[in-house]
Amino acid sequence: MNPILEVKNLRTKFTTHDGSFYAVDDISFKVYEGKTLGLVGESGCGKSVSSLSVMRLIPSPPGVIESGEIIFKGRDLLKLSMDEMRSIRGNQIGMIFQEPMTSLNPVFTIGDQIEESLKLHKKDLSGKQIRERAIDMIRLVGIPSPEKRFFDYPHQLSGGMRQRVMIAMALSCSPDLLIADEPTTALDVTIQAQILELIKKLQTELNTAMILITHDLGVVAETCHEVAVMYAGKIVEYGTVEEIFNSPQHPYTKGLLNSVPHFETGSRRKKLETIPGIVPSLVNLPPGCRFSDRCGFKTDICSKQEPKLETHGGHLTACHNPVGAP
Amino acid sequence: MSALVEIKGLTKHFPIKGGLFQRQTGSVQAVTDVSFSIKKGETLGLVGESGCGKSTLGRCLIRLLEPTSGQIFFEGKDITNLKGEALRSLRRKMQIIFQDPYASLNPRMTVGSIISEPLEIHRIGESKRDRINRVQELLEVVGLRKEAAFRYPHEFSGGQRQRIGIARALAVQPELIVCDEPVSALDVSIQAQVINLLMDLQQKFGLTYLFIAHDLKVVEHISTRVAVMYLGRIVEMAESEELYKHPQHPYTQALLSAIPVPKVGGKKQRVILTGDVPSPVNPPSGCYFNPRCPIADGGCKVTQPELLTTRPQHETRCLKVSAQL
Repeated sequence: MNPILEVKNLRTKFTTHDGSFYAVDDISFKVYEGKTLGLVGESGCGKSVSSLSVMRLIPSPPGVIESGEIIFKGRDLLKLSMDEMRSIRGNQIGMIFQEPMTSLNPVFTIGDQIEESLKLHKKDLSGKQIRERAIDMIRLVGIPSPEKRFFDYPHQLSGGMRQRVMIAMALSCSPDLLIADEPTTALDVTIQAQILELIKKLQTELNTAMILITHDLGVVAETCHEVAVMYAGKIVEYGTVEEIFNSPQHPYTKGLLNSVPHFETGSRRKKLETIPGIVPSLVNLPPGCRFSDRCGFKTDICSKQEPKLETHGGHLTACHNPVGAP
Repeated sequence: MSALVEIKGLTKHFPIKGGLFQRQTGSVQAVTDVSFSIKKGETLGLVGESGCGKSTLGRCLIRLLEPTSGQIFFEGKDITNLKGEALRSLRRKMQIIFQDPYASLNPRMTVGSIISEPLEIHRIGESKRDRINRVQELLEVVGLRKEAAFRYPHEFSGGQRQRIGIARALAVQPELIVCDEPVSALDVSIQAQVINLLMDLQQKFGLTYLFIAHDLKVVEHISTRVAVMYLGRIVEMAESEELYKHPQHPYTQALLSAIPVPKVGGKKQRVILTGDVPSPVNPPSGCYFNPRCPIADGGCKVTQPELLTTRPQHETRCLKVSAQL
């Protein structure tokens, strides 16, 4: 099976007053039809920059995609003109952002906003058909009485409902690829469960490929097929969700998994395992492996040579001393 | 062990004013009739979704907000109506750690002056030198270097700022600390560090915590007892492990099942609630949870259930659960 999207050796550079750095440094991944790739990591690890790079939405300056290829359905997105890119965004690649309040326009009704991308990309549809399609989308994402809601403004909806509108907008042109950037982070758990269930259901129905960006390992375990764990701009571990969760190889992945409190008898009020220290600044990375200054398995080579993404225990890991199965 | 704090029938309704003469037109029923006690050295966890009144409750408890009605007892004394100097000296025993470490530290003050401010207010320490020593000691207790005292909040990461907030709360040697979502704004690996620090400090100084969070996983981990809130009322309260093993209230069951578990294949039966949390301005009749409840029937729309003991040491506010007893 050919991937819908293949990112090869992508490097995105930002230049700031403090110096220039690669927010995304030489990452490669593939996304297949009907499958979900999870990009996980802590704040500042480059997960959002990777998805914005795919959409070519990196603000420039200060950002610039320095090298790499982004092959979407056989075409390199980095070689397209702005106009060609515009016909892909929102049409063939949909995006859901984290904060539904700031990503919706407060002065237009939600109906207008869903219709907008249809009007732009589906020029052969009549006004009536566009309206019907928009109302269908509102119904599809589970908002009750869609004909009435069509005329609502974003402030009249709750956070969960707004996120449903965002999903309706992203899916209105039936894209081949959906990028969801922390779609449930701003929501309460019970609403998060609703939205995740909805995204999963729609993905199976529409057979869309998806990139799900999140910091919540629980969300990844329950929605993704493949996972790329990112740390300081690099992918440090890449495999199927079973491989990552059942036999994590990178000490960072393992540390992340262990630092989440689990509901297990007897573990209550015990100390949690932690990863010491903090994420390094991208301007001032430690030499060699970027995780070396926080790693409990560090050896001499770690601070001399940057590890490559290689197969350890069945999947890709960038580590000199993979920890092996737990 | 005796109760350090106890609240009885605590209610906080915020008035909504409107119209020509700013008459009261309604009220936000943030907290309604909440009673519980926290023993010395214990951690009571308070969970619920946004807008359920958990922060308001925490603030009422330490008298940062005036409750509409109800009583608050601290070390056996009624503190509901304390004023002036008596209230100020009480503040020394009750501190709070806020959620957002970016907003709760004054960017124009050095970390040293942030931490020594409570010492000055409560006139702790003989001289300036004493206070400086105390600040340095506190910084070390929370795992920061002494030099941090001369730096400004913006020079620190989120986790470090939260440590500064903790040091400020510890400065006056309080008995009770209200932790209002202390780890929600932090990354996973930093969250674990701060949770461990809070547990260490509790052991070291015999602290009592009211731990407020929306993340049931974190609350379960740190708390001895957990109270679940929904729309201003406690709907279930039990020991942490008991609550997880035998959740009685349908809301607690849904909350527990909604949490994504970082494990593959461990798929559990998921209860997905429909709809959103109703507005506290205009709560539904009968049981507040009935419009979203999977097991509600006609009776639930009419009768407001009481918080009753449904298992040993385990209270639940649900008509259906108490009917089965």
